[in-house]
Amino acid sequence: MIDAPDTVPDDLVIDPPAPAPVDDALDAERASRGTGTRGRRHARLLRLRSDLGPGARIGLGIAGVAAIGLLWQFASGRMSGSILPTPAATWEALIDLQSNGILVNDVWASSKRILIGYGISVLLGIVFGMAIGSFTSVESFFEPQIAFLRYIPASALTPLFLLWFGLDESPKIWLIVVGTAFFNILMMADVARNVPRELINAAYTLGAGRATVLRRIVLRHSIPGIIDAARVNLAAAWLMLVVAELLAAKEGIAFQIVRAQRFRAVDTMFALLIVFGVIGLVSDLLLRGLRNVAAPWARS
Amino acid sequence: MSAVSTTDVLPERPVKKKLAVEGVTRTFGGKRREVVALGGVDLHVDDGELVCLLGASGCGKSTLLSIIGGLDEATSGDVWIDGDRVIGPGRDRGMVFQGYSLFPWASVAKNIEFGLGLAGWPKDRRAARIDELLGIMSLTEFRDARPKELSGGMRQRVAIARALAPEPDMLLLDEPFGALDAITKRQMQDFLLSVWQRTGTTILMVTHDVEEAVYLSNRIYVMAAHPGRIAEVIDVPFGRTRGPMTKRDPRFAPLVDELADALG
Repeated sequence: MIDAPDTVPDDLVIDPPAPAPVDDALDAERASRGTGTRGRRHARLLRLRSDLGPGARIGLGIAGVAAIGLLWQFASGRMSGSILPTPAATWEALIDLQSNGILVNDVWASSKRILIGYGISVLLGIVFGMAIGSFTSVESFFEPQIAFLRYIPASALTPLFLLWFGLDESPKIWLIVVGTAFFNILMMADVARNVPRELINAAYTLGAGRATVLRRIVLRHSIPGIIDAARVNLAAAWLMLVVAELLAAKEGIAFQIVRAQRFRAVDTMFALLIVFGVIGLVSDLLLRGLRNVAAPWARS
Repeated sequence: MSAVSTTDVLPERPVKKKLAVEGVTRTFGGKRREVVALGGVDLHVDDGELVCLLGASGCGKSTLLSIIGGLDEATSGDVWIDGDRVIGPGRDRGMVFQGYSLFPWASVAKNIEFGLGLAGWPKDRRAARIDELLGIMSLTEFRDARPKELSGGMRQRVAIARALAPEPDMLLLDEPFGALDAITKRQMQDFLLSVWQRTGTTILMVTHDVEEAVYLSNRIYVMAAHPGRIAEVIDVPFGRTRGPMTKRDPRFAPLVDELADALG
């Protein structure tokens, strides 16, 4: 007997199942793949409009704050304390302000002026803004005045207001009103103009009258836009307050900065600037929160 | 058309007809460049009819619907509803717009309730009406959803329900399915037919979709542009009972072709 052959004669081979050749082709195709690439992929951190996770975003934010802190620490170490205080000296100055009662008293004095003055400004903005944005007649009536007045820098009115209203609270409050009301009115008028016409028309065809449309459609739809405008223009209110307090005041954050300057207390001046920043940040967050509560449907 | 001038005679108050549009013109713009959007339109819709205004974009069909709805003013001519002259919008003419126009802050139920509250319906009747409409529109499980959470077809069903809620004399639809995909559009057409058959509401609908017009309407006013006018009036011979079989009717395809040619 001869050993069985290694290979089975061709005629004895049973036809392989149908997909086999396809697999072979696929395998051949796979085997031919090289290491080449097509297209370009950038690192996630450096990608345009990248989709970063919350961890990376918070981490980068902390890194940004730390970078500024380190830069400050480094720079203050190379300069005289009477020019640039160290972060530690600034912190101590802040603690001093707190223990003197200045912090609470003067922050409240300034905040009160903002609350009253800017409150009036926002109310004016809502009333006139909604009217101008809704009625072409009202818009035409007020357009020339506003177009003229908005280019007069409100801070230029300070001497006049001091003359008119004296040195107490009212000139400061009116400066805040005048310095921000035009911005609020103009921006809130735009908000009212942007209420979709179809929503107004739909309400009319459902039997709503003009007053109902203004209240339940125009004003309702404008709430998030009104809060956004108020948030943006709040910075201008603080600007006007500082102008007023720098010129004539007996208390207030900006007044304290002027006082600290007289004593060359740069650390106190820095501490007060940081207080401004913190107040701004807190009010911004509060207004964002208010927007989400008042108009959850417009959450982005 | 009558050759006799009627300008010196008080317009006759039409009877029987639900809606009558008589000699309506609308021009836009100043003296230099005046655009005639509508150059004298006459049409009528009888009680319980579903009528389409068919035309290419720019023929003034939406302007005409706005004038009928009272949202725009005719330069000349009059619109009559049940013998009353239209001078502004009102709840007797429910309107549905192409862009849905739902109140984004209100839930589905609150959107539907808007007109009912304004019409002074008591609370219990309002609730019953909302439930009824949610049922008809297959939206019951979405009664508390906000418009943003709904698909395009669902939003348009809410818009139709909201317009129907205070039981208007007629429904004006401005390209209501124009923004929908083809599949949803077909469903919505059948849905509109079922609403029409169940409620018997008189409907005037603007569309640029020839097949849609033939499928849905009793009569088609074909409009032409420059100036916007009625070019042709077609009576659609399929009666009130419509459905998928309507499209297999031997008269369906030739009618669609004829209209498409008329528009082209």
